[in-house]
Amino acid sequence: MLHSRRLLAATVAAFTLFTAPAVRAETPADTLIQAWAIDDIISLDPAEIFEFTASEVAGNAYEGLIGYDPMDVTKIFGKVAESWEVAEDGLSISFKIRPGRTFASGNEITAEDVVFSLTRAVKLDKSPAFILTQFGLTPENADQMVVQEGDDTVVFKMDKPYAPTLLLYCLTATVGFVVDKKLVMEHEANGDFGYEWLKTNYAGSGPFTIREWRANEAVVMERNPNYSGDAPAMARVIYRHIPEGATQRLLLEQGDIDIARSLTAEELDAVRANADLKIQEGPKGSIYYLGLNQKNENLAKPEVRQAMKYLVDYAAIADTIMKGKVSVHQAFLPKGFLGALEDTPFALDVAKAKELLAAAGLPDGFSVTMDTRNTPEITGIAQAIQQTMAQAGVKMELIPGDGQQTLTKYRARNHDIYIGRWGPDYQDPHTNADTFARNPDNADDATSKPLAWRNAWDIPEMTARADAAVLEGDAAKRAEMYLALQAEHQQTSPFVVMFQEIEVSAMRANVNGFIVGPSFNDNSFAHVTK
Amino acid sequence: MTTISRRDWLLTDRPASRRQARLGQIYRTWLTFRGNWLAMVGLAIVLALIIVALFANVIAPYDPVIGGDLRTARFLPPLTGNHLMGTDDLARDIFSRIVHGSRLTLMVVVLVAVIATPIGLLVGTSAGYFGGWTDTILMRITDIFLAFPRLILALAFVAALGPGIENAIIAIAITSWPPYARLARAETLTIRDSDYINAARLQGASSARILWYHVTPLCLSSVIIRVTLDMAGIILTAAGLGFLGLGAQPPQPEWGAMIASGRRFLIDQWWVATMPGIAIFVVSLGFNLLGDGLRDVLDPKARK
Repeated sequence: MLHSRRLLAATVAAFTLFTAPAVRAETPADTLIQAWAIDDIISLDPAEIFEFTASEVAGNAYEGLIGYDPMDVTKIFGKVAESWEVAEDGLSISFKIRPGRTFASGNEITAEDVVFSLTRAVKLDKSPAFILTQFGLTPENADQMVVQEGDDTVVFKMDKPYAPTLLLYCLTATVGFVVDKKLVMEHEANGDFGYEWLKTNYAGSGPFTIREWRANEAVVMERNPNYSGDAPAMARVIYRHIPEGATQRLLLEQGDIDIARSLTAEELDAVRANADLKIQEGPKGSIYYLGLNQKNENLAKPEVRQAMKYLVDYAAIADTIMKGKVSVHQAFLPKGFLGALEDTPFALDVAKAKELLAAAGLPDGFSVTMDTRNTPEITGIAQAIQQTMAQAGVKMELIPGDGQQTLTKYRARNHDIYIGRWGPDYQDPHTNADTFARNPDNADDATSKPLAWRNAWDIPEMTARADAAVLEGDAAKRAEMYLALQAEHQQTSPFVVMFQEIEVSAMRANVNGFIVGPSFNDNSFAHVTK
Repeated sequence: MTTISRRDWLLTDRPASRRQARLGQIYRTWLTFRGNWLAMVGLAIVLALIIVALFANVIAPYDPVIGGDLRTARFLPPLTGNHLMGTDDLARDIFSRIVHGSRLTLMVVVLVAVIATPIGLLVGTSAGYFGGWTDTILMRITDIFLAFPRLILALAFVAALGPGIENAIIAIAITSWPPYARLARAETLTIRDSDYINAARLQGASSARILWYHVTPLCLSSVIIRVTLDMAGIILTAAGLGFLGLGAQPPQPEWGAMIASGRRFLIDQWWVATMPGIAIFVVSLGFNLLGDGLRDVLDPKARK
């Protein structure tokens, strides 16, 4: 039966494809259809989700203890939690659970569910678990660190008095989302906390439920009938896996989809010119940067590092190849974060770069390689940089590879230059400071391997400053510390921070209320109407 | 003898020397070939490719790798300013890239022919001449290679060797020798018991000598025809590897890779992918026409 239905669907799809120019298809009025590349989804379990697409799905299907205003992340408010209180010694925060709210299953959301969800994530120890374990939690002590007090209070204990906002922001990440203990434990097998089941199923309380995920095909979400907030206008939200921007654009123009998520700069130009379509932008936290490996003797010279920062035509790339998709940004904290530095002291200046190279004893430049992920955008940026570098005699050879190849080489510190994109894991400045400005151990076999380690940049003094900043309770002082850290980092580091990403979605003109937030789990379609 | 024209000297039916006979034969072949206008078109295209590749530096008006101003010179349509075929997404002149890309194409074709033909000839003539176990083993190896589609096998080799134009050439060469071996073996089988081979053997000639001086020259013409006909396939395979990101690497102006990067802009900036596509089409067609013409004149069995 399933087969024949698939076949029928395929036939209908093929038919619509061929007749589409004549018959204008329209999506149903209560259904939102989005086209995106969803091939990165590996799991729908909030304890494991660490991918862009899955984060967004989870963000609309689950709720965390607290949330923030996507337009101003400093405005934090309770979701599952009604209120919270920081202990005087700063070593714990207690959350009071909002009464009378339910999961999609009809079960009530209790403090027990919250404790279960957080300890479960720590005990499962999947990729995003570090967001919680950095507070001193381990699979062994999790049950003592996150405890229920009374009927409706959860206490989260920490090993050091971290800035309270750090924990609050960490709890807004997908790993902190609350799952339905009763439902999940019904499906437990071999003490896996229901992990095998939840990978492809749903046990949350968000505005939408996840009905189905067909790998590389579609994710289908439905309105949650037991949602405790305002019911969304859309009864159904469907993600279709359509990786090619050109195909997305054609479908959008024909009205077969409502929102196209991955259009290139050129396609966006075409959309802007079409009255039936519109564009919505939102700055994302991801930043594009070059990592200069300090194991390379040329790149290790401070003047060379500096020169490289003058050999990228930031403005031209942002205005052309990446038009509308990035803005020039040159510090490791993206705009919108506490203490983000918005100065852009560097611009293409070949003469200055030549002076610096001469001062480093390399007046004729040098040869270097750059590992480049073979996506069109990264390759485009890399080739543009290659051209400007050549003007100062820096002969840069590109070594293309797929994401896995380039990343493996980068993680093993075998690169010269790596062109990368870094997305923050949560909205606290420590997420990026931790990786760009901390390198506790520069040995080849170090246990923690942040980006500074990957580029073999040994910075004991800066590491200490980053560590101090995370323990500062006063937000204004903390912002000052990060500003100073970035100002120094910007000048001396082996990172050429270039751009901050802007997420651009193209949609039919009748689609309203789509929210593009700073991280992917903030992208919300609960208020979409059309 | 004093007033005889060069043409008469070549076409005489009583050649006075070996050299005159051989030159006369070549001239007659050329006359037949010249009569086939399609083959002449093919020859012209291939010669043009060689000339363009040799003088790429002189012909190309711009640098193939370094583009112009990103803000003003991106996606210029064909025939704007000095850009015959327009510019691409990085403001590079497409005509210059195609001209320089002809070097890569020619390099691939020549190197593959130089590597694959001798391997094929050696394997085929040895198998045919020695027969028995040698034949069985060599031909089963050939069968194994023939069992895989060529592009798939080349993909596997490139994946193992790592992407790059050199590895692409090696992979294509490894995958294209088996048909030549088959052909050479078939030819060898028909001539290995001829009287003149036996005569050479009776005079004490070694197997190597017989293979090289008496068998190989007779297999050569059919193999050359086959190689020329295959060149279009070689170009397409190289372009296919480039298109899949496994052949030439950016920013090298390889035609297949140019199509791959241009396909993103196919709807609005059609020329970015179309121009290298036309180049591949024309050159492949040229080699096919040339190969066809050569077969008509070189293959005595096919002559009408």
